[in-house]
Amino acid sequence: MVFTALVSYSPAVRFILQPAAIALVSFGLISCSAGEITEPARQITTESPAPPFRAAAPSLVRLTDAQYRATISDVLGETIILPSSLEPDVPVDGLLAVGASRTSISSRGVEQYEDAAYSIAEQFMADETARSRWLSCELGTTFDESCARDFITSVGRALWRRPLEDEEIARLVIVTDRATMALESFQEALQFPLAALLMAPDFLFRAELGEATRTAERVFTDFEMASRLAFFLWNTAPDEALLDAAAAGELTSDATLADHVDAMLEDPRARDGIRSFFADMLELYKLDDLSKDPTIFVHMNAEVGPSAREETLLGVEHLVFDRDADYRELFTTETSFVNRKLAAIYDIPAPVREGFGQVTLPSDRAGLLGQVSVLALQSHPSASSATLRGLFIRKVLLCGSIPPPPADLNTALPEVSGTARTLRERVNEHLENPSCAACHNLMDPIGLGLENYDGLGRFRLFDNDVEIDASGELAGVDYVDAQGLGEAIADSPDATTCLVRTLYRYATGHVETSGETITLRALHDDFAREGYRVRALLRSIALSRGFREARRPSATETEEGER
Amino acid sequence: MKKLKRFKLSRRTMLRGALGAGAVSVGLPALDVFLNDNGTAHADGSALPRRFGLYFWGNGVQPPLFNPIGEGQGDEWSLGEQLAAFTPVKDVISIVSGTKVYTGNPIAHDSGVAGVLTGAPLVFEGESYTFQRPTIDQVIASEIGGQTLLRSLEIGVQRGMQGRSYNGPNSRNPVESSPAALFDRLFGATFREPGDEPIIDPRLALRRSVLDAVSDQSRRLRRRVGHADQLRLDEHFQNVRALELRLARLEEDPPDLAACMRPDAPLADYPDIEGRPRMMEIHRAQVETLRMALACDLTRVFSLWFTDPVNNTLFPGRSAGHHRLTHDEPGEQPEVSAIMLEIMREAAYCVERLESVEEGDGTLLDNTAMLMTTDCSYARQHLLEDYPIILAGGCCGRLKQGLHYRSTGFENTSKVLLTLTRMMGLRLDSFGIDDGEATDGLSAIEV
Repeated sequence: MVFTALVSYSPAVRFILQPAAIALVSFGLISCSAGEITEPARQITTESPAPPFRAAAPSLVRLTDAQYRATISDVLGETIILPSSLEPDVPVDGLLAVGASRTSISSRGVEQYEDAAYSIAEQFMADETARSRWLSCELGTTFDESCARDFITSVGRALWRRPLEDEEIARLVIVTDRATMALESFQEALQFPLAALLMAPDFLFRAELGEATRTAERVFTDFEMASRLAFFLWNTAPDEALLDAAAAGELTSDATLADHVDAMLEDPRARDGIRSFFADMLELYKLDDLSKDPTIFVHMNAEVGPSAREETLLGVEHLVFDRDADYRELFTTETSFVNRKLAAIYDIPAPVREGFGQVTLPSDRAGLLGQVSVLALQSHPSASSATLRGLFIRKVLLCGSIPPPPADLNTALPEVSGTARTLRERVNEHLENPSCAACHNLMDPIGLGLENYDGLGRFRLFDNDVEIDASGELAGVDYVDAQGLGEAIADSPDATTCLVRTLYRYATGHVETSGETITLRALHDDFAREGYRVRALLRSIALSRGFREARRPSATETEEGER
Repeated sequence: MKKLKRFKLSRRTMLRGALGAGAVSVGLPALDVFLNDNGTAHADGSALPRRFGLYFWGNGVQPPLFNPIGEGQGDEWSLGEQLAAFTPVKDVISIVSGTKVYTGNPIAHDSGVAGVLTGAPLVFEGESYTFQRPTIDQVIASEIGGQTLLRSLEIGVQRGMQGRSYNGPNSRNPVESSPAALFDRLFGATFREPGDEPIIDPRLALRRSVLDAVSDQSRRLRRRVGHADQLRLDEHFQNVRALELRLARLEEDPPDLAACMRPDAPLADYPDIEGRPRMMEIHRAQVETLRMALACDLTRVFSLWFTDPVNNTLFPGRSAGHHRLTHDEPGEQPEVSAIMLEIMREAAYCVERLESVEEGDGTLLDNTAMLMTTDCSYARQHLLEDYPIILAGGCCGRLKQGLHYRSTGFENTSKVLLTLTRMMGLRLDSFGIDDGEATDGLSAIEV
């Protein structure tokens, strides 16, 4: 229908599109009106045979803002103050982690990274404690070549996540020598090789390209695995111990790799890793710019967005690490963590005076869909939205694909009237229009299951003085309220296949290719066998071929188009 | 003024965005600043730089209120209700109405921006999409951006916005929406007023040698990666090279422009009032900084993004966010009209402020071409017909002012853009691709 207007692509465009992308575009061309939509994540569970495994082409991954900051703090010292703004992260296919392997560094970004590098280098050199970790020699005014060499070699390995080559070290020793002459201070001069390390593409991009072996097209090397594991599981750079393990060849061998992954999951930094994933998947980073009309939502202030994000992330940490529980409980649990602000929104006593405390939420809310983070984010600034909430459930939680709204349709909801007082009544009028209903039937009825929460997430029984009906049906399961909707999501096979797909994309930084379907299926089988525990899934992904192998990168445009 | 060699940036960046050509320039020429197209800068007595500016707001317009009444030159037409704020500057702007974006409309709003600013449709990658061609500001910057300290300047007003200044697929130039950060970047410690001494600091040369080492690393890495990554590294490499050039310029005499001075610093922060961002104050602070950035010739290409496509900004006094109102407000949409009046008042303010800078015998605006537009025409239906286009400035005597040109038969918006690039000194055969391509300009707007 409407998408027939989609333009045809010139040859120049076609090679930019990968076959997988083209398949998805053509999927987008299918209208919703077929009645049944194919959930792409279901390719994981269908019976049809999957093509044999073939790894995806590797891609440079730019450090995200959070990864850059965590790396600086871990390697150069927690006290270093970083500039507030760096090259922004961009979501692609719903994930910042995928965007990181598509985008480059803008002209403004280069400027910001340069500023940051000198600010970091200056603070580092001024801090004797931080410095002593990487610099053991006396710092005088004259150039000390072996000292410079040792410093560049050791801090360079931590920042570039691999040993530096002789030529690379020599280049930076020369920079230091020149700087010492110009500034007449060796100590000051050492800022320059450090800044160079921090501005190099070898630091800002993760170059995990693999090397050919007898059994695979490409296998990620030990040092590349150290980097992949650390950023996936900890959202920061590998530490010295992990780099030593890489140097000892322990991250490419099956047996020792598993031990390292287990140890990494026991490390407290694994909590940062899982927080980063859920913040990315649930788009919680958007809560910094949450916009609500405070004349309508009296609880709204600048604290709400960040507090709501913290609640969700503490809940995730609790589920995954404290309880090592079934992922699906995320949608049904009554346990949460709130501060005073959120307690006021939930109408419960604050569990603690400062910070966040564990609570059992009242029976009118359960799970993620009862939390302010999701409810407020998937709403308008001045009202709730069944469409945004339904789209979020379909797309983010169940990995469904819903085409974007056609540009030429009047998408307005009917205004409040005598016959359409509640949002449900207005939506129903809207759905009488078949061209809207085709797609909106997939979103709005589900979103209406959350109508007992207003645009900020406050519980309510009435909308324009009419009692709210929050009943509905999801994948054959009927529910009467949000708790029931949460249970229906937990019971849907799409919820677990979707998590596998999204976490795999997050871990690898790319949208899976057809050669990885078999990996996704195996991962889902493991996940089911392990009682849908997220920790087990993290482990399976880290050990999977898809995470450890790559195909030969294409050298030309033509190959790029054919891959 | 020192005798300088000619320095001209190729259209490499633009081409690589579109065609994926992987060439890298190695060793940019020594610093040949402040030259005009013919390499005779200042020789003809008019040392006046020519600038291009893009001014953008999200969520379209209401065409019946936006479009002028009557057509032609000067008194032959009058401003529509929505553009009343432009009355004091009516004789330095022109309106082009009745054109159309021909690049398709699969994604409401973003297809319109891509279509009008690049003449090409969006390109889809998986479930995401991106621009496949550079936007007009970057097309022009790739030609003239090398002449100034900054290749181009991207300024935002809406907090957390992204802007839509693209170099090519997935390569967006981030906007600076914080007035304090923009001011610091342009007029912080390294800014020098005309007549100030060049900066003598050994650290500048050292920073350049560090950037040189960074470039070497980029080249080493490039040999190991696939084609797509080479393009990404090339972009990083070019931007590192550009920063090297900028540092070198700090060691030279600053440009001698009469109107140039450090502007007043903006406030450190503009906290919301009643949950409403202070769009007007932020915009005006940004315009003041922009105005001096141009007067001091820190850049000759700018884009100012008032709001993003589909933004749901809560404007003062409005009952809902902008985008939602464009769809859900019934009837003649008085709330949307009020928002439009506010945005157009600010757009007019920007024009007035650039007009207020004296330069040579005229004003800064006389030496500027501005394209002011949005992401669709009628927002409620995301129409691409009768596209809103305001032009401002004289482009050094090339761009007609005081004109309302009403296109019949829905001419392609790319014609306007092609003409603008030519006025800026580019020699393009066409602008846009496929249905969005224009090979002829719009002569009606040429002097």
